[in-house]
Amino acid sequence: MSPAFLNFIEIFINGLMAGIMYSLVALGFVLIFKASGIFNFAQGVMALFAALTLVGLQTGQVPFSHLINAIFDTDIHNWGPGLPTVLAILLTMVVMIALAWVLEKFVLNHLINQEPIILFMATIGLAYFLEGFGDLMWGSDVKTLDVGLPSGGSFWWEDVTRAWAPEDADYWGMYIDKLDISATIIAVVLVTALSLFSQYTATGRALRAVADDHQAALSVGISLRKIWVIVWSIAGFVALVAGIMWGAKSGVQFSLSLIALKALPVLILGGFTSIPGAIVGGLIIGVGEKLAEAYIGPMVGGAIENWFAYVVALAFLLFRPQGLFGDRIIERI
Amino acid sequence: MNVHVHPTQEFRFMRPDDGIEQGDPLLVVDNISLSFGGVKAITDISFDILKGEIRAIIGPNGAGKTSMLNVINGFYHPQKGTITFRGQKRSRMRPHEAANHGIARTFQNIALFHGMSVLDNIMTGRITLMKRNMLWQALWRGPAETEEIENREIVERIIDFLEIEHIRKTPVGRLPYGLQKRVELGRSLAAEPSLLLLDEPMAGMNLEEKEDMSRYILDVNQQFGTTIALIEHDMGVVMDLSDRVVVLDYGQKIGDGTPDAVRNNQDVIDAYLGVSHD
Repeated sequence: MSPAFLNFIEIFINGLMAGIMYSLVALGFVLIFKASGIFNFAQGVMALFAALTLVGLQTGQVPFSHLINAIFDTDIHNWGPGLPTVLAILLTMVVMIALAWVLEKFVLNHLINQEPIILFMATIGLAYFLEGFGDLMWGSDVKTLDVGLPSGGSFWWEDVTRAWAPEDADYWGMYIDKLDISATIIAVVLVTALSLFSQYTATGRALRAVADDHQAALSVGISLRKIWVIVWSIAGFVALVAGIMWGAKSGVQFSLSLIALKALPVLILGGFTSIPGAIVGGLIIGVGEKLAEAYIGPMVGGAIENWFAYVVALAFLLFRPQGLFGDRIIERI
Repeated sequence: MNVHVHPTQEFRFMRPDDGIEQGDPLLVVDNISLSFGGVKAITDISFDILKGEIRAIIGPNGAGKTSMLNVINGFYHPQKGTITFRGQKRSRMRPHEAANHGIARTFQNIALFHGMSVLDNIMTGRITLMKRNMLWQALWRGPAETEEIENREIVERIIDFLEIEHIRKTPVGRLPYGLQKRVELGRSLAAEPSLLLLDEPMAGMNLEEKEDMSRYILDVNQQFGTTIALIEHDMGVVMDLSDRVVVLDYGQKIGDGTPDAVRNNQDVIDAYLGVSHD
């Protein structure tokens, strides 16, 4: 195989893996949108908050230490060496469930039967609140997150692919980050687990029922409030997974919450109501971005990656507004 | 998988009814008034539903029949009056609580989960009876598995009863209207309700489908002893099925009694023939 073709494959694979990361964020959006019709602008910040909490627990940070130090003129930062990773992840999950519960109790419950735009505005407020709250709680410095996943390039894969090119070619083999491979495996497991749960358990059935028809769900005895806590908890869990993957890849910092914006074109592509759509949409955006950067980028001076996804989304809005897998929008006249 | 089902074992849906005897009031509606802004939907309506009977609620369009059902199962909260169900008085109740207390219903415009299969739709009817927590379900082991299988067994028998085996796995949205109505009845039966509210169960059906539905309703009432309140426009059906009829017009009760008594009530005749109200 020629090095040019191998390069193409390498870009393609890396695009797929970047796409998985987008899918993870988009998945959280779809879950909440399906069950409650709310477009949760705060999904990205939830991922950031989860990652911050995880790092904080892992490293034994005292929450609100800056605030405490400022008020009481103390100088505390850490309460100890920190928790083992597994325990820290479990505790973070508890925090995310508590967050879902508080949200339902103090925000959503007061906005039942309101227009979608009002709920959307509420999630924007939530995003800003959570961002500031996360900063206040854990500090705004960039943190490194290490949950013990392998990272760095895979030498084995490099050797294997080097052998595919002609002996005398100027080619060094493909680069694939081991972290991306872990992310892919984790994403596949997560999506499989979620779909099994929703297909084969009573709670999963209740979730699907609520997503389908609120009134009918109420009449068979499903408590919407309970379901919303569950859905937001699951979205919190997905945010945690996304936060871990993105945090491990590029550090836990504010820009993490901006990846949520990349989920938007993913959702427009895949459809707001479709879980497979979120995944395929993420993959298409990931691959499209990387290929465009590599092949069209040099012609226009690069940095295509930043806007390419939005252009694709725009094209989709023109020709297929419901996305690839979304429900057809049929208005009754 | 320790579920033992004997073919001879009699299949009963009915829940124990907290000491309500056959023929005693199961539900008492007392002086209910409901308005939306300035529009009065229901004014001072009182009636009761006796355990074991089929009670019809009839009246011209806009008489407040569906509003009445919505009040009974908690979708609407009346401004005035009380509802006593199984001896417990209440003025407000959320719909999912009503379902938990044994009130199941169907809707005029069919409120099924269109993307889900017939089987899954009917399984949702049993949600109030499935108590295993989510963690067990997530593990899909032990108690949750047993529970799922037991409930599935009962749902399969409801499917048999309604003769819809052939469409068990079909997404409900693809079914013709008459079958959807039947599935909706199945879902409400799955809750083993003490009181079953049917909102126009035969609307839009042809004669044959109406006959089938009538038979199911009678069977449910007689075999399982379920108390039924139904709204229906087809007077022939109402007169044949129901034990007692309450007639509403412009949100007020204008008649209450056996089908024969109601048929001969002058107010009822006027309301249906459109005599002016002055």
